[in-house]
Amino acid sequence: MSALSRRDVLKLVGAGTGLGFPAVLRAQAREVPMLGLWSFTGAFSDVGPVLDRGMKMALDERGMKIQGKAIKYITRDDETKAGSATRRAEEAVDAEGVKYIIGPWSSGVALAVSEVAKRKKVFHYFSGGTEDISGARCHRYSFQWAASPYTAAKTVVDTFMQANPKAKRWHLLVADYAFGWSVEKYIKEVGKTHGIEFVGADRHPLGEREFSNYVTKAAGNKPDVVAMINFGLDAVTGAREIFNFGLTPKIPLIMTWSAGVEELVQLAPEIRENIWVGSNFYYTADTPVAREFVKSYQAKFGGPPGYAPAASYGMTRMMLHAMDKAKSTEVPDVIKACEGLEVEDLVGKMRVDPKTHQTLRPYFFMRCKKKDAMKNPMDFADIIATGSTPLPAEYAACKDIGSL
Amino acid sequence: MKFPLLVSQLLNGLATGMLYALMGIGLSIITGVLNIPNFAHGALFALGAYLLYTVIQLVGNFWLALLLAPLGVGLLGILIELGGIRPLYKAGHDYQLLLTFGLSLIVTEGIIIVWSPVGMSQLPPPILRGGVDLGITFYPKYRLFVAVAAALLVLGAWLFLEKTRYGAIMRAGIEDKEMVSLLGIDIHRLFTTAFALGCVLAGVAGALTAPIRGLNPLMGVDMLGIAFVVVALAGQGNLLGAIVAGVVVGLAQSLVALYWPEASVAVIFAVMAAVLLVRPQGLFGIR
Repeated sequence: MSALSRRDVLKLVGAGTGLGFPAVLRAQAREVPMLGLWSFTGAFSDVGPVLDRGMKMALDERGMKIQGKAIKYITRDDETKAGSATRRAEEAVDAEGVKYIIGPWSSGVALAVSEVAKRKKVFHYFSGGTEDISGARCHRYSFQWAASPYTAAKTVVDTFMQANPKAKRWHLLVADYAFGWSVEKYIKEVGKTHGIEFVGADRHPLGEREFSNYVTKAAGNKPDVVAMINFGLDAVTGAREIFNFGLTPKIPLIMTWSAGVEELVQLAPEIRENIWVGSNFYYTADTPVAREFVKSYQAKFGGPPGYAPAASYGMTRMMLHAMDKAKSTEVPDVIKACEGLEVEDLVGKMRVDPKTHQTLRPYFFMRCKKKDAMKNPMDFADIIATGSTPLPAEYAACKDIGSL
Repeated sequence: MKFPLLVSQLLNGLATGMLYALMGIGLSIITGVLNIPNFAHGALFALGAYLLYTVIQLVGNFWLALLLAPLGVGLLGILIELGGIRPLYKAGHDYQLLLTFGLSLIVTEGIIIVWSPVGMSQLPPPILRGGVDLGITFYPKYRLFVAVAAALLVLGAWLFLEKTRYGAIMRAGIEDKEMVSLLGIDIHRLFTTAFALGCVLAGVAGALTAPIRGLNPLMGVDMLGIAFVVVALAGQGNLLGAIVAGVVVGLAQSLVALYWPEASVAVIFAVMAAVLLVRPQGLFGIR
């Protein structure tokens, strides 16, 4: 038997490709591939699995089908790194035919993925603290689920000052990246209207584990309140150190933009005393969708959901609502339907601003309970306010969201 | 700059530096005697913290937990040396390095399986909660305790290595293993003891740190990096150097946080890079 010539091999490859390619297309026409881009390793690796849970739950509610087509859900590890996240996203779009991306969790990483969404013309929903996705770097393909940092700052500062009108000396502890800068800017803006004096504002690197140096500085400034603008393990480590130095519970600590349950569960009840918490979700949110979601989540996983699974669940639901409204799974149709979409959903009334792609929605402010007031170990806090003041037009950095 | 704040930061730097020194000495002993970089050192640090937590949960006694947790880590160290590192002595350096790297992953994943991936808090014992007024600054009692305890442990480890016969053998092992072996000393037992001692020091550093930083399966990752910086700064196998380097790193971090907080992590590596540029053998290294 003679060996295959180079020409024969090329013919076989050509035939194989020719036969296989339409099959991929046919499969794509029948199914809608969606990517959950989560951190399973790196700085936010603890959150990846719960984000995955939330998205799965939202898809399962629909029986993994949308507009008569099967949903193909895939996940990739973004490693909490912009480089890895963009590579994984591009690979998923090119090789798996993904047209819908939810995630990632880190603001800095998500900004990079948003550029991929724009270049590849795929639908992208994200939830996080940077205002750039619905601000300076807005475009038609990316949407923001989390409240605007302004909405968060306004809810937190207004409510806190109403309860503590004399607490005018604030010390800020800010994570030194996109999210921290955005929230800090608006805390200071809103603070001006209450006559707050910012006696200190230290920025710490993402992933800081030695907070004592910042806390001694904070203590030296003799503030009435310390407000942290950081997230995840940074927030937990910071809160613990502030307690160790005896600042809390003597003075209040505000966790401005918290993961809620995921952070609070890591702190002993003694540490949580006199902590005030702002978050995009808390599991006692009194909406029909939230009640059902929390019930179902608790039954499946044995504990209440925090902000992370709620965000992935909520974003996926918003995307599916847009597909319902569009009666289509084609990206341009879904984007147009999502712009201006108005629904009663997870956190109450939610509307997507067509000019910025910011989801206008309530933000929650809680106060942690004392140990003896807790009804069960997960009864961390009471919601004391919700606020939904949108970003005033003069601050809006998204001047022209562009075209598809 | 207010004077009390500067004093407070210096005190803080010293306290943190003592913990770094504790980690650095442990790693330095292992690196020096066994000639392998122990990549599992950070994971063993985390294990020390988790064992402390569990013993407190079981018996409700912080002091007993502080004694048992490092011993538990030391026991694991003996098992690792006997069952893992020893069979690989002849296989070569690369295999031992891979083993410790693999062990770090196994220990970390083991912590996740046994204690869950979600972090936890461990409060200091009641007697050490709150702070004390030092006249010029207010400082947490537990941090003061850690500074003193770590300093005593560092001193104890140094005295053991410098003033005891076995310490002298261990130092000789760092200098010239073959010569020690030729003198009729059981070099394998020396290796086991050195590895276990290094693990005990990592375990005690982890246990002492738990009430300060809390518990997290990845808590050893940052500490491992710092421990390697301390060893590199000190000069490989130099124990006195490890103490000085630990304090230098702690103070640098603390003082930079005062003036340029954004750079407080980067400064650790900047200090190392600066020293190694001038003295590639480290502060106290001779070769």
